[in-house]
Amino acid sequence: MNDAATGTPDVLVDHLFRNRAGQMVAYLTRLLGPEHLDLAEEVVQEALLKALQNWPYSGIPQNPAGWLFRVARNTALDAIRHRTLAGEKNIEFAAERIRDAEAVVGNDVQIEEQLRDDELRMVLMCCHPALPRDARVALSLKTVGGFSTREIARAFLSDEPTIAQRLVRAKRQIREGQVSFALPTGDDLALRLESALEVVYLMFNEGYTAQSGEDLVRHDLCGEALRLARLLATSSVGTPQAHAVVALIAFQAARLPARVDSAGELVLLEDQDRSLWDQRLVGLGFHHFNECAEGTHMSAYHVQAAIAAVYAGAQHAKDIDWKAILNLYDQLMEISPSPVVALNRAVAVSKVHGPQAALIALRPLVEDRSLRNYYLLPAVQGRLLLDLGDREAAADCFRQALARPCSEPEKRFLQRRLEKSMGA
Amino acid sequence: MPSFMLLLYGNPETWANFGPEDIQKAIQKYMAWGDKLRSSGALLGSHKLADDVGKVMRGQGKVRVTDGPYSETKEVLGGYYLIKAANYNEAVEISRGCPSLEYGGTVEVRQVDPMDEAA
Repeated sequence: MNDAATGTPDVLVDHLFRNRAGQMVAYLTRLLGPEHLDLAEEVVQEALLKALQNWPYSGIPQNPAGWLFRVARNTALDAIRHRTLAGEKNIEFAAERIRDAEAVVGNDVQIEEQLRDDELRMVLMCCHPALPRDARVALSLKTVGGFSTREIARAFLSDEPTIAQRLVRAKRQIREGQVSFALPTGDDLALRLESALEVVYLMFNEGYTAQSGEDLVRHDLCGEALRLARLLATSSVGTPQAHAVVALIAFQAARLPARVDSAGELVLLEDQDRSLWDQRLVGLGFHHFNECAEGTHMSAYHVQAAIAAVYAGAQHAKDIDWKAILNLYDQLMEISPSPVVALNRAVAVSKVHGPQAALIALRPLVEDRSLRNYYLLPAVQGRLLLDLGDREAAADCFRQALARPCSEPEKRFLQRRLEKSMGA
Repeated sequence: MPSFMLLLYGNPETWANFGPEDIQKAIQKYMAWGDKLRSSGALLGSHKLADDVGKVMRGQGKVRVTDGPYSETKEVLGGYYLIKAANYNEAVEISRGCPSLEYGGTVEVRQVDPMDEAA
């Protein structure tokens, strides 16, 4: 009988299973080949469930990650034996590789290094440009991030079958040999990295923009995006652009605790209590921001990170250097123009040249069909009109904004603005 | 103080759609419950049973050994805890915190015969 006195050696690190699941799938995919990604996932799931069935009785092992890897390896060997017996060809070779790869995970620096490399390859495989964009995000979250289909569906406000189907299709594409696990080189590498950074940033935005403060999954999404961005930036194939993405994400993530007040209401950047910003993330942001200045190529991520750095560097809202921000938005409009960037630029215009100038800058956007459902355009217009004292026109704008899709806290925020403009 | 055996039954299919985070959370619940048993001094020990069905031996002189028992329900006996408690009421109260009950499992509480303990 397990000795009752020994107790559990320690508690589990937060997200240990999620992170290690991703690593184990990556590790096994390298050994089994990407055509057996499904098998790798099944094996890992089984290893995690074995932990659930055993640890409540035996306690948490001294080296939980090592335990999981050992069990996953044995489970994989069993599965290969079964499949070989059942007549499946081209899988027995993997058993040899798995036996050769025998190693203790958990406290060996070299192995952790290898696992990071496996994860990197996995991210780059999941972000292959041959796969549809939305599949890249879902696949990265599933296989590298260790998110369940249900969690991905919840994070993307989608339903499980839709996500499951997306994953099945992507995996079929991988199985059919369109995507390899090898680390790409040259132009291929550049393309994949670009796609990976896009995926990571999409992941972050998905978690960040609709943050309601009540759904932990969205928070985890931001955390996973930051983890993957750092993995990419600090890897052997890291680029200044990858550092820019880490900086951008870190600066924005730092503000998460201040974005919603104690009543669950949205707080605008300029009204945020800066003491709530996560200083560790701000520091991380500046660290990677310095790293991203290494290259000669100025990417859109660089400019966005620079904008976030200006906000993060100001002690108080009144210290924000709006001229610098307007300058950066001008650059961003040159590198990567979009209606959303133009809208953000207009906010900077209002701070530097006043609300009238900003309204003029917004005019062309009103006609833009892509912003037709974007509540922020009328919301910004309303705010500017309010500053100009035109309450009636402002109220009109807030009503328009309320008619467009937005989250509950955003709705309440607009409602308050509307009441203010009506003089309530 | 009397001893009680807590037999934990569960349906393995319960966990089929659990992701890594869900699994970790479930483990942490079991750990928290186990820690409580331990710190209160109630826990005498615990064991996980192997996943196979085991063997059943039957006989009257001549012994027949078969695999099984195969149960008609989907629930399988996963493992057991041995605890100390004043009486059935207290043993049941302690078992109430067992996470298996949160996940649709069954906990069977059996007292070790006091006569056995007196020996």
